[in-house]
Amino acid sequence: MLEVSGLTVRFGGLTALDGLQLRAAAGELLGLIGPNGSGKTTFFNALTGFVPVSGGQVRFDGKDITGAAPRRVAACGIARTFQRLRLLSELSVFDNLMLGLHLDLPHGPWVNLFARRRLAAAVRERAAEARELLAVFSPALAGRLAEPLRALPMIDRRRVEICRALVRAPRLLLLDEPSAGMTPDETAALMDDLHAVKARRPGTAVILIEHDMAVIERVSDRCLVLDYGRRLCEGSFAAVSRDPEVRRAYLGEA
Amino acid sequence: MPVAAWPALAAVAIGAGLAAALLLVHHKAAVLAVLAVGAALLVVAQRTRAGERAAASAAAHPRLVPVAVAACGLGLVMLLREDNFALLMLCTVALQTLAALGLHLQFGYAGVANFAGAAFLGVGAYTAAVLGGHLPSVLVLVTGAGLAALAGLLLALPLLRTRGHYAALITIAFGLLLRTFLEVNDTLGGPQGLKVPGFTLGGLAFNDAIVFDEDTEWSFYVPYAVLALALLGATHVLVRRLERSWIGLALDAVRVDETAAAAFGVNGGAWKIAAFCVGNALCGLAGALLAMVTGFVAPPSFAFGDSLVLVSIVILGGIGNPLGLLPAAFLVVVLPEKLQGLQEYRFLLFAVLVILVLRLRPGGLLPRRLRRWPGLP
Amino acid sequence: MLAQHLFNGLMLGVIYALVATGFTLFFGVMDVIKFSHGDVVMLGAFTALATYAAASGAGITHPALLLAFMLAAALGVMALLGALMARVLVLPLRGAPAINVLLITLMAGTAIRESVRLFYPQGSNPKPFPRLLPEGAFEAGGFTLRYDSLILLGLGLAAIAATGLLLERTRLGLAIRAVAQDPETAAVMGIPFRATVLATFALGSALAALAGVVNGLYYSEVNFGVGLLLGAIGFSSAVVGGLGSVWGAVLGAMVFAALQTAGALVVPGGSAYRDVFAFGAVIALMTWRPAGLLAERSAERV
Ligand SMILES: Nc1ncnc2c1ncn2[C@@H]1O[C@H](COP(=O)(O)OP(=O)(O)OP(=O)(O)O)[C@@H](O)[C@H]1O
Ligand SMILES: [Mg+2]
Repeated sequence: MLEVSGLTVRFGGLTALDGLQLRAAAGELLGLIGPNGSGKTTFFNALTGFVPVSGGQVRFDGKDITGAAPRRVAACGIARTFQRLRLLSELSVFDNLMLGLHLDLPHGPWVNLFARRRLAAAVRERAAEARELLAVFSPALAGRLAEPLRALPMIDRRRVEICRALVRAPRLLLLDEPSAGMTPDETAALMDDLHAVKARRPGTAVILIEHDMAVIERVSDRCLVLDYGRRLCEGSFAAVSRDPEVRRAYLGEA
Repeated sequence: MPVAAWPALAAVAIGAGLAAALLLVHHKAAVLAVLAVGAALLVVAQRTRAGERAAASAAAHPRLVPVAVAACGLGLVMLLREDNFALLMLCTVALQTLAALGLHLQFGYAGVANFAGAAFLGVGAYTAAVLGGHLPSVLVLVTGAGLAALAGLLLALPLLRTRGHYAALITIAFGLLLRTFLEVNDTLGGPQGLKVPGFTLGGLAFNDAIVFDEDTEWSFYVPYAVLALALLGATHVLVRRLERSWIGLALDAVRVDETAAAAFGVNGGAWKIAAFCVGNALCGLAGALLAMVTGFVAPPSFAFGDSLVLVSIVILGGIGNPLGLLPAAFLVVVLPEKLQGLQEYRFLLFAVLVILVLRLRPGGLLPRRLRRWPGLP
Repeated sequence: MLAQHLFNGLMLGVIYALVATGFTLFFGVMDVIKFSHGDVVMLGAFTALATYAAASGAGITHPALLLAFMLAAALGVMALLGALMARVLVLPLRGAPAINVLLITLMAGTAIRESVRLFYPQGSNPKPFPRLLPEGAFEAGGFTLRYDSLILLGLGLAAIAATGLLLERTRLGLAIRAVAQDPETAAVMGIPFRATVLATFALGSALAALAGVVNGLYYSEVNFGVGLLLGAIGFSSAVVGGLGSVWGAVLGAMVFAALQTAGALVVPGGSAYRDVFAFGAVIALMTWRPAGLLAERSAERV
């Protein structure tokens, strides 16, 4: 479904991504690991149009989306989260989730300004869906739809951000260190949630950036190790963790 | 459990009462007393949850409240029907609020700061001066709004390519540019300005006093006040609906985090330009009608200071809350007129007020609340 | 003829550069625009004027001495005011949206402007500024070079050069540059953030005062409203050059002055339209180079 070939990103003299090759199939959960600064986030950013691509190609469902604007990437059915949470903290939980649905919502003046009954019905319907989705993660959270986002604890904010990326049923979901800043228990809970969601949306491919090896071992089907913007190796977690180069570069062994 | 209607109605009545009192009293002490009562009510509303009850009640009666507001507005005009000066102030307040609604749409929702509000008001006003008498008045108003939007469209590309302070500078530069242009351009009357023909509708010339018989004569401002209030009311309803809709959400997303919004397909640039144009159109509309009301336009009314007054109204009222604009406009327009000693000091006064608000209560007099979606409790 | 325009443009450019440097310094350390800066320029000129009145009232008549007093008072008082404004208006709003600082200083500028208009004796009228520099001029063909202009030009250029040196060679300059780079790292390295910010605002405001005095001496007149336009011009110059860079601000100021001078020459209708032309050109320039002439392209990190 996703084919990346030779993807290169340069920031001035720094080559953050160097000829990356990567494939992801529908329904697959690909773990993306690598030391700090190895270009993982840059890969997401290049894919979703937030940094200019210096070379290579990205194809999604056979379409060339290399260097496409974020809007077009989103329209293809690719959704992401951000390493530093980017939620709309002044708005409600519901508002945040509905941002994820932006492309499916009607924005014409008639529906929005005059057909208020129709709008109200649509809002009710969307709210029910949103509640259902949140309930997969946490039933308590589903009851807090109308609250301001900033009233939520960190773990719930992460959940909201993941739900925001999920509401539109994306074909490809990009998660950038969803467990950052969480306790091991919280991380475990979040990963269970991820499994539950994947069970509901079997066709969705997920690429997960994660520092915690235990998490990667537990959830990923396959993983890919980045180092200095290059693919160091790729394969099942067991295979990758045995690779001597990976051990040297990443696991810090001599 | 049905929510009672009376808290909302009471709030509307209190608001109208305060407005009437402020417009009617002349004595300095009385003006200050009205202000004190208003301030006290505001504090009480906030400390005792009375404000929240009124808001909840208003939300529960979406049809009744606008009717009540319209009735109060009409009642106010009737009350003042022979008082030229008070009606002129009422018109000014209504039209400044209309323009502030435009700025509110731009800044409060889409996050585009516009420091050239008075310039767009001026585009509308000069349109009324040039086209008045040649076109039906309604068309003049529409053209004024359209030209203001068009003038803003000139800034669309620069605004899209810049952000933050750079974008602020663009509107500042445009405001200064337009004012200087009006001043040095002779075909538009130069520093002396132009006369503006009054509004006419189906043979009714608004500039004629309404004479019933020898003893009963209504001010010619009565129809203007009704028209201005009607425009304000309709626009206010539309702006509120806009906020409580998918459009409002998209605008908020663009303001709060354009990057995150883009990741979900929001075209930030298009929304910003749309909000900017609609907001400028409202300024232009207000400017055109205001010019007809006063019968005269000149460059000094569209200076940078006047743009700042509009910005002050938006900040004082509460960024993002259209309801706060009306009381803020009342303060900004009526207070200096009423406290004659203050007229001279008004810019200083607003400046200090806004500084205090930004330091102590950044949300404004009536801070914004979370969106109340139609269909959700 | 051309040389004359060139010289006048250069003179304007130096005044604008003094103002723009303040904008760019403040932006450097705090990422804010202090829009009251233009009004600080104006207040500097009025402070000098008041000092002149007081000193000549006290019987001092020597022009150089008078000028020294005026400069000392204007620079000193404005530096204090700048630090005070940073302390009261800018630092407390750290963490609030950046636009709030622009708004609050816009209003502070209005307050300064209105206060001068209302409370300075006959503040709403243009005030003659004393001529304290040697009269006379050097003439060649159609070109007149007034000695006083020459002195002012030298003074302005010297101040800009001194500011550049201060930033590059002194401890204070190092602190300012460190804070501008990255406040957190600077703090770790033992550079006090607040003190540096206050010093920066004092420095920028002293430059503004100098600009006010130079402007007053050059035109032999000051007016309470001059700050608004000078502020907008200084802001434009700093932005055109690329906020945060002192040399960018100087370049931007020269570009603005050149635009004004060219506008007065080429636009039909003459000098009346020169500001219309200059601001229009600024808008166009920013459309072309949204982050300024000297700035490298930089996008927000996601
Ligand atoms: N917008 C940018 N401009 C310049 N350099 C950048 C930019 N974004 C990232 N970099 C640099 O590119 C390199 C890769 O960064 P990236 O954020 O992709 O690493 P990462 O693998 O996500 O690391 P981490 O595990 O710390 O999140 C780093 O050296 C970083 O400093
Ligand atoms: Mg990263």
